[in-house]
Amino acid sequence: MRRLWYFLREAFMSLRTHQASTVIGIITTAFTLTSFGTFLLLYHNMHNLVERVQTNIQIIVYPKDDIKPQMLQSLKTVIQADSAIDSFTLISKKQALKDFKHQFPDETYLLDGLGENPFPASFVLNISDHIPSTDDISNLVNRLQHNPHVERVRYNREWIERLTLVITYMEIGALIIGGVLALASITIIANTVQLAFHTRQGEIEILRLIGGTNLFISIPYLIEGAVIGGLGGGLALGFLRGGFEFFKYKTHMLSVIGGFSSMLEFFPFPLSLLLITGGILLGCLGTFISMYGWMRFRL
Amino acid sequence: MIQLFHVTKYYEGCLALSDISLRIEKGECVLLTGPSGAGKTTLLKLIFGSEHPDDGQILVQNRNIARLRRADVPYHRRTMGFVLQDFKLLPHRTVFENVALPLIIRGLSSFEARRKVIEALRAVGMEHKQPALASVLSAGEQQRACIARAIVNSPIILLADEPTGNLDPQLTTEIAELFKAINARGTTVMMATHNRQVVEQLNGRVIRLDCGHLLSDQGAYA
Repeated sequence: MRRLWYFLREAFMSLRTHQASTVIGIITTAFTLTSFGTFLLLYHNMHNLVERVQTNIQIIVYPKDDIKPQMLQSLKTVIQADSAIDSFTLISKKQALKDFKHQFPDETYLLDGLGENPFPASFVLNISDHIPSTDDISNLVNRLQHNPHVERVRYNREWIERLTLVITYMEIGALIIGGVLALASITIIANTVQLAFHTRQGEIEILRLIGGTNLFISIPYLIEGAVIGGLGGGLALGFLRGGFEFFKYKTHMLSVIGGFSSMLEFFPFPLSLLLITGGILLGCLGTFISMYGWMRFRL
Repeated sequence: MIQLFHVTKYYEGCLALSDISLRIEKGECVLLTGPSGAGKTTLLKLIFGSEHPDDGQILVQNRNIARLRRADVPYHRRTMGFVLQDFKLLPHRTVFENVALPLIIRGLSSFEARRKVIEALRAVGMEHKQPALASVLSAGEQQRACIARAIVNSPIILLADEPTGNLDPQLTTEIAELFKAINARGTTVMMATHNRQVVEQLNGRVIRLDCGHLLSDQGAYA
């Protein structure tokens, strides 16, 4: 208990004594983690988006514009009979126009010169959960495309796969960027702690003289690094939250991507905690590197 | 207690100690004398484990210091006390905190540590200075506090490197008396000193060194 008190007191005394370098250490760590966190937040939301879309694969079938009612009924029967299709909705031309006007009230003037309703009728198909592979979807799309009453088939599988690929690249990018930023953070913290280390060299020599082990001498500095890293992480979290809310507010006002902004979400609590823990670990690692070089050759 | 067998030490090619063999028994008071550069400090550092010999063996309480692993050095140091000429106290800590440091390192309980610190401070006549910052103490008081820190762990060996080097004759007498009292309690004292007054006052075994060579060993066992 007395030891713990000693370690904490030493660490906080050093932080207070070297206020300027402590503040610089915290701010630089915060900026590094904010940069990494921004990337992580983007990745997190992209990943969420893909997951959301992947669980809701839709195929839109546009019947020929001049299709007769009995042909439309026959197409409906074909769709109904296909085992790959879980459910479907028929959106009439009239409904499609109504939906557009509801979703984009400011853009209805676009329809002014087009005369009669330009929107086609469509079947929106939901795919059964047990048909997840690309081949199965492609077969279904092929079958529908070859139907003589069908004008066009559109489905979002292709761009989901592209998005998944982008996510994979982002994962690699996150690793590289994260690595570079972590290295920068470690270097900054290592330098901050090394400064404290040099100004307290005399004190360290005394501790060695009276039998202090490297671990005993290091612990206050590790705490110091952890505090700098943790506070940097906390500050970064604050920056990210503020920036996120601001971005969400701004994008919400834009009707074109207004729907997208409502899908955005901030880091869940465990991930937020991970950012602070990451800061603490970076701080400890920076301290360890700084001390290891210093202590290695000293008896 | 302490045995040196043909110990030789170089610093960047310069001879610091040459073929030194010694045997120091428990409870002895050994005074290392000789001019500056004679090798007195090097000899103490070798026993303390802050230097390694280039040749020969050093046994301290039957433990071979020359073969001591780096990680074991702090534990070896905890068995002895070291007093230096420049005191080496933490200036912004109180006397109590300075003296308590070796006990905190050993992980003693607060109660036990307090008892031992007070005991050590009483032994050097500094009990009343517990709350004073080390930086406001006089030279003599700083050296007393330093001695208290060295003996707070009840070491078997007390090493001292010119402990009176910065003190006036009056304080030198007082500090020498302290060492005499510590030695009288059974602690082996090994002190490097230039001071003839200290040598006469402690009246111990005198080992004379010059340019790394052992010139004389008055009262040697082997």
